[in-house]
Amino acid sequence: MTFGSGAMTNSIAEIEHAQVVLVSGSNTTETHPQIARRIYDAVDNGAKLIVIDPRRTQIARHAHLHLQIRPGTDIPLLNAMMRSILDENLVDDLFIEMRTENYFAMRDKLYQVDISQAATICGVDADSIRLAARMYARAQRSVICYCLGVTQHVCGTDNVRSYANLAMLTGHVEQEFTGVDPLRGQNNVQGACDMGALPAVLPGYMPVADETARTKFQRAWGGKLPEKPGMTVLEMTHPADGKVKAMYIMGENPAVSDPDLSRVRHSLDHLEFLAVADIFLTDTARLADVVFPAVTFAEKTGTITSSERRVQLLHKAIEPVASAWPDDRIIMELSRRLGYPMDYESPAEIMEEICMLTPIYGGMYHDRLDAEWGVQWPCAGREHGSTQFLHKFSFARGRGWFEPAEHQAPVESADADFPYILVTGRVYHHFHTGTMTRRSQLHNREYSQSLIEIHPEDAEKLSVAEGEHVRLTSRRGDCAFIVTITDRVSPGHVFANFHFTEAPVNFLTVKQSDPVAKCPEYKVCAVRIEKVAA
Amino acid sequence: MNRNFILKKDHLQPLLRKLSKTHRLVAPVRNDFGDTLFTEITRLDSAVIDLQNQPQSSLKSFFFPQQETLCSYIVDKKLNKGKMEYSFHARLPENAPTVFFGVRSCDMFAVMYTDMIFLHQHERDIYYEQRRDSSIFISIGCNRPFANCFCNATRSGPFLDGGFDLQLTDLGDRWFVETGRPRGVRLTEEWPGFFTPVSEDDKRKQFQAELEARGLFRKLVHVDLAVKLLAESEPPERIIEELSRRCQDCGGCAYICPTCTCFNISDLALNEDSGERIRSWDACTFSGFTLMAGNHNPVNAASERIRKRFLHKLRHDVEKHGRPSCVGCGRCVEMCFGGVDIVRFIDMLTAAGENGLQGEK
Repeated sequence: MTFGSGAMTNSIAEIEHAQVVLVSGSNTTETHPQIARRIYDAVDNGAKLIVIDPRRTQIARHAHLHLQIRPGTDIPLLNAMMRSILDENLVDDLFIEMRTENYFAMRDKLYQVDISQAATICGVDADSIRLAARMYARAQRSVICYCLGVTQHVCGTDNVRSYANLAMLTGHVEQEFTGVDPLRGQNNVQGACDMGALPAVLPGYMPVADETARTKFQRAWGGKLPEKPGMTVLEMTHPADGKVKAMYIMGENPAVSDPDLSRVRHSLDHLEFLAVADIFLTDTARLADVVFPAVTFAEKTGTITSSERRVQLLHKAIEPVASAWPDDRIIMELSRRLGYPMDYESPAEIMEEICMLTPIYGGMYHDRLDAEWGVQWPCAGREHGSTQFLHKFSFARGRGWFEPAEHQAPVESADADFPYILVTGRVYHHFHTGTMTRRSQLHNREYSQSLIEIHPEDAEKLSVAEGEHVRLTSRRGDCAFIVTITDRVSPGHVFANFHFTEAPVNFLTVKQSDPVAKCPEYKVCAVRIEKVAA
Repeated sequence: MNRNFILKKDHLQPLLRKLSKTHRLVAPVRNDFGDTLFTEITRLDSAVIDLQNQPQSSLKSFFFPQQETLCSYIVDKKLNKGKMEYSFHARLPENAPTVFFGVRSCDMFAVMYTDMIFLHQHERDIYYEQRRDSSIFISIGCNRPFANCFCNATRSGPFLDGGFDLQLTDLGDRWFVETGRPRGVRLTEEWPGFFTPVSEDDKRKQFQAELEARGLFRKLVHVDLAVKLLAESEPPERIIEELSRRCQDCGGCAYICPTCTCFNISDLALNEDSGERIRSWDACTFSGFTLMAGNHNPVNAASERIRKRFLHKLRHDVEKHGRPSCVGCGRCVEMCFGGVDIVRFIDMLTAAGENGLQGEK
């Protein structure tokens, strides 16, 4: 929104040449090891590493400066950093003049920021904020990597804008070895977004409201396309009663992964019809009227788009096992029976249509992808090369837009009834709702219990020991965990993962979400903790 | 006494064809995606045997697969007067006579090492033995070591004195052949048409190639010094901690290592009454490797996880077998995400050792 498109502005391999890497809300070593290795390389080459995270993660232990902020206080921190950059005259005036808009509004906003007040809100000292600002601004090549710790807040969009503001203020964007890089999570989530698996856009991020775009797709597909955006996942899993009648869910497990699970399971239970396609019988699939066994990655051909916009071709390694079908075949068969015959003979033929209709994928033909190590979008046609970094010479939306942001407190804060803040996330050995990794003997041995991380001080207060059982209760539900005592979390905060179906942490989380991105605030909810017998 | 022959390069393919009639043939083959892996060759004419690149994997998985079913079990209700009892049925692998062609010295040496582990006197692993039993190794000395190679420092190459059945040296248009174990000698006797006598000039050229190869290593790794330092004292905690912190816990080093042989055995229930007992590769860098009941773990993964790996290679095996079990293939250098390979460890250790000595003066 600030730059004009949602993807890493730069490439993964560039990170190792940065002079400063600012990592925020990302447990990079555990969730993006391939990015973490580049950060290690950068640090080996002399780069400075700044980590902004409420937890003392492994990457934070490598950091030259770790700002252990309170969850949900990115905006005051960034405003304070920018204020400090302004005060110390480290602003890139030429870049702001040539490439950006709305700077004066931003500057006026920053002049109202009080650094020591921000430091109090964030729970870090003012000098560290100034130091971080100086480190980031003074280098020529500074990279920002952020992840779900930034986006899974009610102010997620403003958080992202603030990181973009910081990059623009110092001119650390539009060039090699700089940029603002969101680290995408699940395999091919980037590709799914690119293909319009978002409520408001058609493939290639063309808005559904745009009549020209709609006409183009209508000509190719026949029929009429809706003019208004559809529903987001949360609007579907937390609908007004009776609003959603039927659902078809592919490779997603909302009965474990969505916030405020009691509501989610209630909604899924009350659908008139639910069909689920997945490789295992997940908790969601158990609720379904019809389950389609889908193939795994090894049994199908197609493309995966990575975090850095790289479209890579995957070849089928083995034939589908038993009666499992690839997703495209399931969809085509469903579509045919619903009266809209689709007849693609191969994923390559589907890709030809994508190339035809989606300008950023214009040259992503399978034969070409096969010959190269993937191609980074935008790629307009067969002759068009791969795009290493975005916004060269100008942003996608023309000029970069400064959008000043105001601190917005998380939906819940600790109080007398619910005195602890629960942060949710992931661990190294498991993927998402654990439908695959929990079935692997080795992964399960390495991380076999649904642990809750508690700071030693809090453990003493609660008089719980390592390995004991506790029950967490929030305003929405409760869930039991096994205690692990660690200084990865700070006092007053606890951390749990959502990989364990026997400890579905999302019974506790809040469903309130960012008004623009509709991403729920998984990262903050207030809980109370009680010791229970095993 | 080794015997020497010449095998013309043009005659290699015909020889392999003859051998493939009675043997399974395994060689480094470049696949459609540009990866060179040891692969069983079913169609000799269409397979691209690649001797220019180091195979990405060693021979380990041919004798000790990443995962294998040791036996199946069923709960048998009738077996003992109505009482439930388990009965186990072993699943032995097939003993298929195999020719391994194009094996580099480091990988050949690694096979000799894993033999020591799995076929030690009377403690013989029947699964390994069954796969290993009727193998013939045609190895290749390395005239040109690859980028990460340091087998000169581990004394497991670039050429070997024994262990192979036949060892080849590239002399341009022909291979210089040395016989090793009796199977290699028999092979030359069985196909005398392919193996012609050597001249004095050939011998000189082979000797020259071996000499030159020793000077072509791009990495200088002080393995002996590291072994000596570890024999004298504990490695500095700083090094162990820094490398443990960088370790990304993927187990790739142990999986790719030709001499890492740790495994785990687990039961996989197929249904209520039956299942399989499975052996799979394990790695000492995993925290579950040392995890005990009650969640006690003698190794702190965050700060010590790599200690066992490097001490095993460079200290314990020296004490037990008289030499380090690293064969200098350099694969872990390429494999490791976090730069926690053995070369880095040795470099850090020896640098710290030198500084330590300087400090004493």
